[in-house]
Amino acid sequence: MRYGGEGRTRLLLIILIVTALFLITLDLRGVAVLDGARQGTQTILSPFQKAGNFILTPVKNFVTDITHLGRTRNQIEKLRADNAKLKADLLNRKNADAQLKQLESILDLAGTAGYKVVNAKVISQGSSQSFSQTVTIDSGSNAGIKKNMTVLAQSGIAGVVKEVYPTSALVMLASDPAFKIGVRIAGTQQIGILTGQGSRSGSLQLLDNLTTVKVGDVLLARGSVANRPFVPGVPVGYVTAVDNSAGEIAQNATVRYYTNFGGLGVLAVVVAASPSNPGDALVPTKPTPTPIPTVTVYVTPSPSPTK
Amino acid sequence: MLTRQISLSVPIFLFIFLFQEAVVNQFKLPGGGFSLFVIFALIWAVISTPEIAALTGFGAGILMDMSQSAGGPVGQWTLIMIIVCYGVSYLGYGDGNINGNPIGVVFFVVVANLITGLLFLASSALLGVTTGSFTQILLTLLGHSLWTLVITPIVLPVFSFMHNFVFETRTVL
Repeated sequence: MRYGGEGRTRLLLIILIVTALFLITLDLRGVAVLDGARQGTQTILSPFQKAGNFILTPVKNFVTDITHLGRTRNQIEKLRADNAKLKADLLNRKNADAQLKQLESILDLAGTAGYKVVNAKVISQGSSQSFSQTVTIDSGSNAGIKKNMTVLAQSGIAGVVKEVYPTSALVMLASDPAFKIGVRIAGTQQIGILTGQGSRSGSLQLLDNLTTVKVGDVLLARGSVANRPFVPGVPVGYVTAVDNSAGEIAQNATVRYYTNFGGLGVLAVVVAASPSNPGDALVPTKPTPTPIPTVTVYVTPSPSPTK
Repeated sequence: MLTRQISLSVPIFLFIFLFQEAVVNQFKLPGGGFSLFVIFALIWAVISTPEIAALTGFGAGILMDMSQSAGGPVGQWTLIMIIVCYGVSYLGYGDGNINGNPIGVVFFVVVANLITGLLFLASSALLGVTTGSFTQILLTLLGHSLWTLVITPIVLPVFSFMHNFVFETRTVL
């Protein structure tokens, strides 16, 4: 069935579309009013996001456990026996401990390099409706955070500050497809550009076609002019695969980030870098294998043969 | 009449938007999760007249553009939502098999959600917004569609009731 008031509706539709195009044009031209509107919205939303994060933390833990059910079946089988002993208040304690552990690791990392950091809790995961990878943290310009500052997680880089509001900030994760960082391979001076791919893996392109990269190589941030957006020396990830295709101008490799972007609870924003470049001081140490005791049994043959 | 409809619709839209930003976005769900707000706007559009649907798309799009996680410029989501909301309403208007039938509404919402994603990708390419690798996009679109297929039938009665309350229509899906 055709709609009756088509003339009026079409006019309305045209007006709305023109308005939308007008807004896009204004935003692309950098009109401050639209930025202010977004900032205002975030300022209003921030307390609700903090409250939501506080209330939903136990539920989030539960959902995360469900998500990883298939991958950690053995661990869950073991935990199932212990779960009966757990009480509801321990869920909050568990969460606090996990965040404390993350915070300790971050502070260790920042302390080794001499970075001055501002710690913040993740209060919201960005919607993936826009195909972007972002999180919101509960500290903003009031805590000294500015745009384009490096953000650390417990074992390496987490991302970069994209937008700052008075009491919160939007962090573009290193897994975002728009994320690019200049990196160098620890121990050498080989440099390249690492790009996010929407997951925990990144794509590395070396800049020099005469150098090579191998699996296991550790990547560190090269650093930027005036240490923004990236401070030097931050561990980024390690090479998991190398593309040796003939005809490529420069070598490409797949990199696995040290940071697990699915479990971010506490982050640290580097507000001031160390006066000197930390070099390779932040390269994560490889886990040392625990020695397994061996039992040697000596058998002495008896003088008379047994029947 | 129009004043009543607008004064009731605006708080509902703001509440769902707030719920999306403060609650739904807290969860990192497999496959990219879902947008309750988009589902709500699309359901609202499918069961409304094209005129109301276009206005719905405009209002929903403006709110989505104000979201911190909106990747592109202000106006991008507004444009997409106007087109999609008007489109689904125009195609289904007056057809009881579509906007009067829960299965029809679910089908329209899932397809419209997919088209929303595709339009976002196309407009992002034009506006220079980076959206990721082909595989990642494909997985996200598939994830969004599956989540929408699961969530829409659950929330449809509630949203339909709200629509009925605002517009005083007779049928509740």
